[in-house]
Amino acid sequence: MNKRAMRRGLTTFWWLTVVFLYLPLAVVMLFSFNASNSAARMTGFSLRWYHQLLGNEQIMSAFANTLILAVISSVIALAIGCMIGYGMYRHRHRKLGWLIILIYLPIVLPDIVFGISEMAFFVQFHRLTGFLQPGLTTMIIAHVTFQIPFVALIVYSRFVGLDPTLFEAAKDLYASPVKRVVHFMLPTIKPALISAFFLSFTLSVDDFVISFFTSGPESATLPIYIWGAIKKGISPEINAIATLMIGAVALAAVFSLMFNRRRA
Amino acid sequence: MSNSHTTAMQSGQTLGRSQAMVREARHLLFTVTPGAAWIILFLVLPSVYLMAVAFMTNGPYGLPQMPLSLESFKQLAGFGFLGWSPGNIYTLLRSLWQTFLATALVVIVAYPIAYYISTCREKWRPLMLLAVVVPSWTNQVIRAFGWMNLLAPGTPLSSFAETLGLISPNMGLYPSNFAVTLGLAYNFLPFMVLPLYAAFEKLDTAQVEAAQDLYATPFKAFWHAVFPQTLPGLLAGVVLVAIPAFGMYVVPELLGGGKGMMLGNLVATQFSGGSNWPLGAAGAILMLIATFIGLFAMRRIGKRLGGGEEVVI
Amino acid sequence: MIHNKTRAALAVSLSSMLLAGGAQAEEGKLYLFNWTQYMDPAIIEAFEEQFDVEVVQNYFNSNPELISKLNAGGTSQYDVIVPSNYYIPRLIETGLVQKLDRSKLPNFDNLMPQFKDPIFDPGAEYSAAYQWGVTGMVYNTETFPDAANSWSLLFDPEVNNDYPFSLIGDGQVAVGSACAYLGAGYQCADLDSLKNAARTLIETKNRDNFSGFADGTPTLQQLARGVVHAGMSFNGDYLFYKEEDPESFANLAFTIPDEGAEMWVDAMMIPADAPNPDLAHEFINFMLDAQIGAQLSNYNYYASPNEAARPYLDEVLTESPTQPTDEEMQRLYFTPSLKGEELQTFQQLWSEVKAR
Repeated sequence: MNKRAMRRGLTTFWWLTVVFLYLPLAVVMLFSFNASNSAARMTGFSLRWYHQLLGNEQIMSAFANTLILAVISSVIALAIGCMIGYGMYRHRHRKLGWLIILIYLPIVLPDIVFGISEMAFFVQFHRLTGFLQPGLTTMIIAHVTFQIPFVALIVYSRFVGLDPTLFEAAKDLYASPVKRVVHFMLPTIKPALISAFFLSFTLSVDDFVISFFTSGPESATLPIYIWGAIKKGISPEINAIATLMIGAVALAAVFSLMFNRRRA
Repeated sequence: MSNSHTTAMQSGQTLGRSQAMVREARHLLFTVTPGAAWIILFLVLPSVYLMAVAFMTNGPYGLPQMPLSLESFKQLAGFGFLGWSPGNIYTLLRSLWQTFLATALVVIVAYPIAYYISTCREKWRPLMLLAVVVPSWTNQVIRAFGWMNLLAPGTPLSSFAETLGLISPNMGLYPSNFAVTLGLAYNFLPFMVLPLYAAFEKLDTAQVEAAQDLYATPFKAFWHAVFPQTLPGLLAGVVLVAIPAFGMYVVPELLGGGKGMMLGNLVATQFSGGSNWPLGAAGAILMLIATFIGLFAMRRIGKRLGGGEEVVI
Repeated sequence: MIHNKTRAALAVSLSSMLLAGGAQAEEGKLYLFNWTQYMDPAIIEAFEEQFDVEVVQNYFNSNPELISKLNAGGTSQYDVIVPSNYYIPRLIETGLVQKLDRSKLPNFDNLMPQFKDPIFDPGAEYSAAYQWGVTGMVYNTETFPDAANSWSLLFDPEVNNDYPFSLIGDGQVAVGSACAYLGAGYQCADLDSLKNAARTLIETKNRDNFSGFADGTPTLQQLARGVVHAGMSFNGDYLFYKEEDPESFANLAFTIPDEGAEMWVDAMMIPADAPNPDLAHEFINFMLDAQIGAQLSNYNYYASPNEAARPYLDEVLTESPTQPTDEEMQRLYFTPSLKGEELQTFQQLWSEVKAR
């Protein structure tokens, strides 16, 4: 077989795949600047859909909810997941099978089962106790639940990658466990913490199904708003919101590239 | 696993050592409890409650009520008081079939792509991997919406398919079962590329070169030297793609237009549109069983092949 | 320095956000759960101003969606809901709604006599009519210049085998329309007719040019954009969007098929555990005001149940399709309210239709 021909074939295939990956997003972005309300024809360039966004209170509050949900859930998940990650590392010689199963559970559970379980549970819980009405709080709880495992695994693998003698050295250096955590542990795993936070954040923003089933009247996030808008049949406005979200993702991609470069 | 500890225990249980062990146990409890409790309280307990719901009776307007019964499972199997009907079985088969198609499509695309990336210059690889992953950072609702726009009637892609005679005139590629397959594959492509890439990167080139001398055709060389080495990555990818694809709700809902209903939709409708919680919960149990069978099977295959690597997510 | 400041600002804004998020269902807020595109924003503003409160609006696209939200905790999260006639008896029976206090609704007297004692809620003890309308067929007159005024445009493959079309997602309305098409009448209730209707629906949805089940309002968008060429929707929404986008709607016609179609009444109700029932009563009373009632109809193009509003109504509201002619009224029917075995039979048939 001709190696160069194969190479050229592969290169072509690569670029075709890139087109496949970005075409749907590009179309959304393109049509967000469409002058008319047509999903099939570009009739001209305009920013009218973006102007509409700014005046829309619901979208603004959905935007705020998305951020609040992502930041708060990620912070909580980071704290809890970090502890579990460290516990798993420190006690990795014990039989922790039940813990591993527990940690993998949120990962393998299908979103839809996850979402409706939470919903059914919160509804029943609220009926019995009067607490945890569906809303931002229940959404935060649900998000933390699926973020914890990822944080734990990232932190765990960072610890595993460390030189074990470091821990002994730290023990000699700092007497109190609190100091050890503050001056040794956290600085050493900082890169893992940063990537765990970003992953949690992304997971939260990316989630629709679980948010959808645990949300209340005032806690719609952008994905929930977009879903509602699609169901309602309005298109150009969705294009504009989606474009902003895609823009944010692109920005995140650039940052992550720079972050990786600097580390390398 | 706990070898070091048991030997330590046997070698002399001084007071200090047992005190240290208590401290260790307390440490374990302290670090692990919050997270474990969180998951138990907010996921295990809700799941158990959902399973209980499956064994309750459907109330007049969809909420579960006593007494306990197996009614919802009978309904799921298609037995109603109108006699047996195959609707739900169709849905299950359709879910399996769509999962299979999407996974196959993803393998076909991801395999050469992962290989290609691993052969490119090192400084480009992170960028290329990033390019594959970035679309999946956007919300899945937006991604499905993008395909809705691309495949609607009158769009260039639909017109093209029309001239090829793939669809009848005036129709679009969306909504259709094809759109669902495509949407699923699009969603999960990165999950296959990443583990495959990891496998290709570790490829033992000496073995490959030896195989090239040994076997007459490049295909045979590939089959005997390359493919087995990438198998663990492939299996991991299959698990990562097939399991979430099987439980997918958004893609069939938006791209299927009511024709391509999958198990996820059957379950979701019982809570968000039709209202029959026990039936939805029974569907969720079916979904879980299928998921765990899939996971277990993959693990077995992975172990038998003995790639040395645990194929657990 | 700057760094510290931004951090402090972030902390402050974050904690205030948390507080805002935590304090749900506070005083001075009215939670309204309404159909999409059904409320004049100016009315909401007027109410907010008059009572110095905030109205939080949430939207649904179909009755099944409404009831599932109520099941999922909504009974204690919304103050006013706007279900349709055939869901009202269910809501009352299951105790999901509370009785209205008529003493707090002086404007109730403004309603037309037939809405003061509707069959779906005798004596209107639980509900106050909001608007009423028709679910008919909307189609593209360019695509189908000679279309007969019949459901056959949707259900008969010989009439339309080439152009994409959709059916309404609310099962009872879809089944009723199929029944009407088959000659059993929109309100068909016997098992054989229902089964036949389900069979027709299964055949229909498996046709190549069936594009999906869609709710009434989005169907209009799909029609306007040419995604489908025929579908089912509501008279008022049709006029509303036609006014908004005359160009796209120039070739779209709304019709009430000869075989019969649905007429519905949407009414305001208060969920059993509404956070703010007093304000809910104020709101319902506000909506029943003569001028507000007229303003609502003038905005959303639906017929008003409000007798006192009549003098203020726009000309267009007195004509078909908003106000069907006497002849059209002959073939409009309420969707039956199902319960017990009937409901279960229907649900089984409908889930079969969706799954096949």
